[in-house]
Amino acid sequence: MAVDWRSYKPVLIPDIPNLNDIDVYIKNGGYESLKKVLSDDWTPVSVVDEVKAANIRGRGGAGFNAGLKWSFMPQPDGGPRYLACNGDESEPGTFKDRMIFEYNPHLFIEGALIAAYAMQCTTIYVYIRGEYINWINMMDKALQDAYSKGFIGNNILGSDFSVNFYTHSGAGAYICGEETSMLESLEGKRGYPRVKPPFPAQRGLWGRPTTINNIETLANVPLVINNGADWFKGIGAENHPGPILYGISGHVNRPGVYELPSGVPVLDLIDEVAGGVKNGKKLKAIIPGGSSTPVLRADQLDGVSMDSDSLREAGSMLGTAGLVVIDEDTDMIDLLWRIAHFYHHESCGQCTPCREGTGWLEKILLKIKNGDGEVKDLDLLLDLTTQMEGRTICALADAAAWPVRHTINRFRDEFEARCKKSVHAMA
Amino acid sequence: MPEVFIDGTRYEFEGQPKLLQYIMDLGLEVPFFCYHPSMSIPANCRQCMVKIGQPVKDRETGEYELDENGDRVIRWFPKLQTSCSIDVTDGMVVKTQESDELVQRAQKDNLEFILINHPLDCPICDQAGECPLQIQTYKYGPEGSRFEVKKVHKPKRVQLGPRVILDAERCINCTRCTRFTEEISKTHQLTITKRGDKNYPTTAPGETFNDPYSLNTVDICPVGALTSADFRFRARVWEMNQTPSIDITNGKGCNIDIWTRDNLVMRITPRHNPHVNDYWMPDEGREAYRLFNENRISRPSVMLDGNDQVLSSWNNAFETLAEQLDKFKAEEILVIGSPHSSVEENYLLGKFSNLLGIQNPVFTPHSEKGTGDGFLITDDQAPNTNGVRLLDFDEKDAASLKETIKEKNIGLILLLNDHLIDRGVLSADDLDSKFLVMFASNESETTRNAGLLFPITCIAEHAASYINVDGRIQRSFPAKETKYTNRRLNLEMSEGRLDRYGTSFDNWVSDENKIDCLTLWDLISLLGDKLGLELSYENGAREILSEISNKLPAFEDVSFEKMDDESGIQLDTEKIKVKS
Repeated sequence: MAVDWRSYKPVLIPDIPNLNDIDVYIKNGGYESLKKVLSDDWTPVSVVDEVKAANIRGRGGAGFNAGLKWSFMPQPDGGPRYLACNGDESEPGTFKDRMIFEYNPHLFIEGALIAAYAMQCTTIYVYIRGEYINWINMMDKALQDAYSKGFIGNNILGSDFSVNFYTHSGAGAYICGEETSMLESLEGKRGYPRVKPPFPAQRGLWGRPTTINNIETLANVPLVINNGADWFKGIGAENHPGPILYGISGHVNRPGVYELPSGVPVLDLIDEVAGGVKNGKKLKAIIPGGSSTPVLRADQLDGVSMDSDSLREAGSMLGTAGLVVIDEDTDMIDLLWRIAHFYHHESCGQCTPCREGTGWLEKILLKIKNGDGEVKDLDLLLDLTTQMEGRTICALADAAAWPVRHTINRFRDEFEARCKKSVHAMA
Repeated sequence: MPEVFIDGTRYEFEGQPKLLQYIMDLGLEVPFFCYHPSMSIPANCRQCMVKIGQPVKDRETGEYELDENGDRVIRWFPKLQTSCSIDVTDGMVVKTQESDELVQRAQKDNLEFILINHPLDCPICDQAGECPLQIQTYKYGPEGSRFEVKKVHKPKRVQLGPRVILDAERCINCTRCTRFTEEISKTHQLTITKRGDKNYPTTAPGETFNDPYSLNTVDICPVGALTSADFRFRARVWEMNQTPSIDITNGKGCNIDIWTRDNLVMRITPRHNPHVNDYWMPDEGREAYRLFNENRISRPSVMLDGNDQVLSSWNNAFETLAEQLDKFKAEEILVIGSPHSSVEENYLLGKFSNLLGIQNPVFTPHSEKGTGDGFLITDDQAPNTNGVRLLDFDEKDAASLKETIKEKNIGLILLLNDHLIDRGVLSADDLDSKFLVMFASNESETTRNAGLLFPITCIAEHAASYINVDGRIQRSFPAKETKYTNRRLNLEMSEGRLDRYGTSFDNWVSDENKIDCLTLWDLISLLGDKLGLELSYENGAREILSEISNKLPAFEDVSFEKMDDESGIQLDTEKIKVKS
């Protein structure tokens, strides 16, 4: 059943002027859910259970139940425990978290504080990509305001709960959005993903229990506490409930971030929400959730909606819900080369298949783009994607391999047409 | 006991080993590059991929579920796993490249990736012949390359520091070198710079890689990216003979290999000994290879009236010594042992002086306060100070040695391989009008003051034992021939590839680099013949040590055989008398 998105009222970024001002936020019921969980009616365990029941699936791309993730934290032993909030959002096509930083930072701060309370963390870091310097400044201001109102610090609102909250700036590396290399970066080290196990919940920041959550994921938490898990589960698609910030970019008339329930039909998003394809062109393809998610042809989109089940069925993924719209004039070889260039540029260089594979992919694609490719190069590209996938420490090799494999498979004719006639005799 | 199945064979294990290490300990093989048993496990080369499964257990009964054939039902991991980083667990089933095509394929794919940006310049690369990348490519790699685009270019011939040169294009980013400076030498001098296929190890801008242990990175580099500034382009691995030995530049006694070609020592590398130096050694010890080649004393010399040393025959030298011994009373003779010489040499000198009725021999330790670093560099500058102590030589500092010479009216000094003038213990004036007989292997200011100079073998030419600062006795093997020894006849000497397989035309061995010197036991045996003393040891140091072992309680149960079996023997340090 199609989701009724037309009558939806935004809750993550509601239409309230100056909501980033802490007084406006409080006037509109802000920090009430924090007060609620700090009251005697709630315990850390009951918060975790409630969030688990709400099935907030991680909005950073992997889509893992946030409450379940929180429950992996070991029992407190008196030492430090960390919550690391991932605001690195460097996947091309993704620009949703900065809307939260800009328009409703306290919702995220409140969510992070509740999460820290639930997992009994002692310190919260919010890692924000360095390019977002303005948004880092906004967050610093918001954190200062929250400190001065007593929402962060020692004995928050007269309770036993104490926590500190810091921003940390990235330095321009995509890989630092990968959760374990973000931890390395937070520790002041080179952004290399860590081998798992041990998982961050066992050995995270400085060897201590750590949970990593996306900004948007945490922004949903106060809403769940205020309105209950059932309310949350009633929004949008069944297996992937809740509001979603859709970042729509590419060849549309009104690109931007739109808050709607999950499960909006892809074509509704393009035609109605984003005002249709620019200049009246025909739709050629979409990338549904950031550059690493497999591209879908326009003819694959009938009845497909923006939730994990529907997209998986169609042969792609929801990712970060950063929808890239591609019109009929787009050269897919150019597009794929640009994506491959990005992953080549951003590979950290730790694991062999990704370090060498990303460069090789880009170089072959450049050759094809320049008209020097042969059909056998396409098969080599497909071969290389299987050589890379699943053989590295983190998922970046997969992220680099998928778009190449699926774009070639789904637009094979276009690629072959660009290739030279093979000089090799057919067998 | 917990069990694991590797390629269909059942093995039992104890503790919590990592799979790759466990496989290697079994004597089996999985290829790898970044793993090193003494450092952290980054799992970044992705070469040691294996397929892993766990038997399925019934949740209620805890029993293994069985299929229709009665075999355990195995749940395979969805992805291949790096064996270096995975713990062996009970019931685990492992398929390596020996039994699984996907694993074979993955390892081959990975080598293809590693090689695309590797320069493939093995013919001019120093690592060739001892290169894990070369060896594993032959064994597990693809036959050709499908890489038809341009390779990445990176800095070459970069002098990272005084002793290490980087070729960044050969680097496969295993991070062994950076982990070494982080975890072992702790200087943190190396780091990886840049990203992706452009990255390579380097120092911080403006810094030099002058870590006192820097050359270890050359050893552990699995390709030819880091090479030794000194050894570069000097010899091929397969032309050299590799002989186990002991570092003599300080008191730690790091286990080393001496690499020789045509009886010249070309380089020294550390040899694994978990009780002493693990896989490492200080750079200083490697530079000592020159001592074995340069400034060697060949043929005896006697001093004529005008302070001129002239070469002499062995026979004449023995005659001269006999004359001098005749000239002086036993009380006027002083025998000085050396912490720089082996247990056997010192013992024999002591025994010789004993038979002549000379007073107890003395020695002066060679220690420089503050040079040690608590790791492998010690204050002690000599390899066998504890050995001389255990032989009950009288320990004397510089002042008391001078006093002894003066007060006791010493006229004749027998000095074993200790360059006392060079290291400031004695001055030439102290030896004025004394007759100095010196047994030494290298020329120095001290040897130039000798009235009679006997050339003896250095550690690279004899088998003998040394006791380190921690009281561990370890021994050397002869690595290079003297004029009187022969590699093919001496079973203690190592054979290189050319000795074993080469024709006489392949072998470059000449007589040029053989030193005219004797082991101290051969020399004293000949001297004994002259003086009518029974001092002959047909089996050299081996026989001397067994005599020591029978005589001195501190050396109980010590023998060459036991040292070989146990890579040295820890002596009871209580028995080492420390006289300060």
